[in-house]
Amino acid sequence: MSGKEFFVGRYERLGWKFEDAKPRQAIRLNVTNIKRKNLEERLEAIGVQLEKIPFLEMGYWVRRSEVSVGATAEYLLGSYSIQEAAAQIPATLFANLKGRTVLDACAAPGGKTVQLADLMGNTGILVALDVNKRRLAALSNHLERCHVSNAIVYHFDARQVSQLKLKFNRILLDAPCSGNFAADNDWFKRRTITDIKRNAKLQREILVQAAACLSDDGEIVYSTCSLEPEENEVNMDWAVRHLNLQIEEVDCYGQKGLTEVFGSRLDVSVKRCRRIWPSETQGFFMCKFKKRGKKR
Amino acid sequence: MRALSKFAFQLGAQFSLNTEFIVNKAGRYFLLNETLMKVARKDFYYAGTYLGKGKNGKFFPSFNLLMMLAKGEANKIVVERKTAWLFICGRDIFRKGILAVHGSRKKGDHTLVLNEFGDCLGFGKIVCSFGEAAKKTEVAVKNISDVGDFLRREA
Repeated sequence: MSGKEFFVGRYERLGWKFEDAKPRQAIRLNVTNIKRKNLEERLEAIGVQLEKIPFLEMGYWVRRSEVSVGATAEYLLGSYSIQEAAAQIPATLFANLKGRTVLDACAAPGGKTVQLADLMGNTGILVALDVNKRRLAALSNHLERCHVSNAIVYHFDARQVSQLKLKFNRILLDAPCSGNFAADNDWFKRRTITDIKRNAKLQREILVQAAACLSDDGEIVYSTCSLEPEENEVNMDWAVRHLNLQIEEVDCYGQKGLTEVFGSRLDVSVKRCRRIWPSETQGFFMCKFKKRGKKR
Repeated sequence: MRALSKFAFQLGAQFSLNTEFIVNKAGRYFLLNETLMKVARKDFYYAGTYLGKGKNGKFFPSFNLLMMLAKGEANKIVVERKTAWLFICGRDIFRKGILAVHGSRKKGDHTLVLNEFGDCLGFGKIVCSFGEAAKKTEVAVKNISDVGDFLRREA
């Protein structure tokens, strides 16, 4: 069970008519390192035309550029990061990050880690884990370039996070996933339903460990760039049923989560999740959890 | 920590970081704050602010360290826009591209290189006099390290 026809058929059954999508290039201002006005002026002076992304406080589309936005002095000095627009949303879903103990469970290559550090104003503790040592070099470069000073990075499988013996106030679980066709031209050729099921299982295993090290007043934001409900709504439904977690309302870009998937009814609270079908952005999914019974 | 102090001295700067918070991890130096010190395990891969690494008796500073040194008293030159761009592409600096000199003008000394906004782009070695009589098309500062390195590392 694979191929474009198979997956497009699934998307139609979920209520989305397939269309090819080319996500626009986006950047994110690192406000700890530069003032918004200064960055806008400096980039304009070198021929980079920006357009504010309406649903992101720090995000900009790159409308036109005479230079590579990944090779400007401002980029190299950490004034901004190149980060796809939908991928900028998860870190913004947390309430007050300053001074907190935060976990980025699957951190490399570090775009969201740097964003978390920026939102934390380099205060508190930001623990970043990744299981792939090669990708940690990219993560470290990213932290150095953006002058992050509150992070501790470990070469660690997120499923072993309990070994750190820490309780986290905020956990970003940007889970390893199957990705989506908008971010990978060969996606339909590469992916099978077996991959999706394997990833869904891994995601549940990480979720269990994340929930176990969440403080009582803590928040977990789960995200993937997968369009497949097994890795998204179905897993969230499973988490609500099996872990001591409840799904919180979020106010952000995207459609409500699906509560009926291929004939199965999911917990009604799953609609509080956000699903983004590819268009100007890549495909994305987000869900915010708190411990059950804990109200802010 | 001697490697760091020696490096700072070469740039005419004072090394004033609290050495209690500096962790040497297999030749890589990290500056942690009190909060991170309490929770960081010994097996971390990266923590706090990366300061640089020592290898075969030589010290390779991080750009964070250069930026810290640039905030205080140190040898610095400020360069104009095009020169700044060429410098981060790995090129040396001609006399004519230098807008201001702070600290040492002595041949052989090291100096930080700043752009017109005061951002530290890297550092280099003074290879000729900065005096007015010097030829403007002569290389004045030889590039040792620049922020363009972030791109070269990933290539």
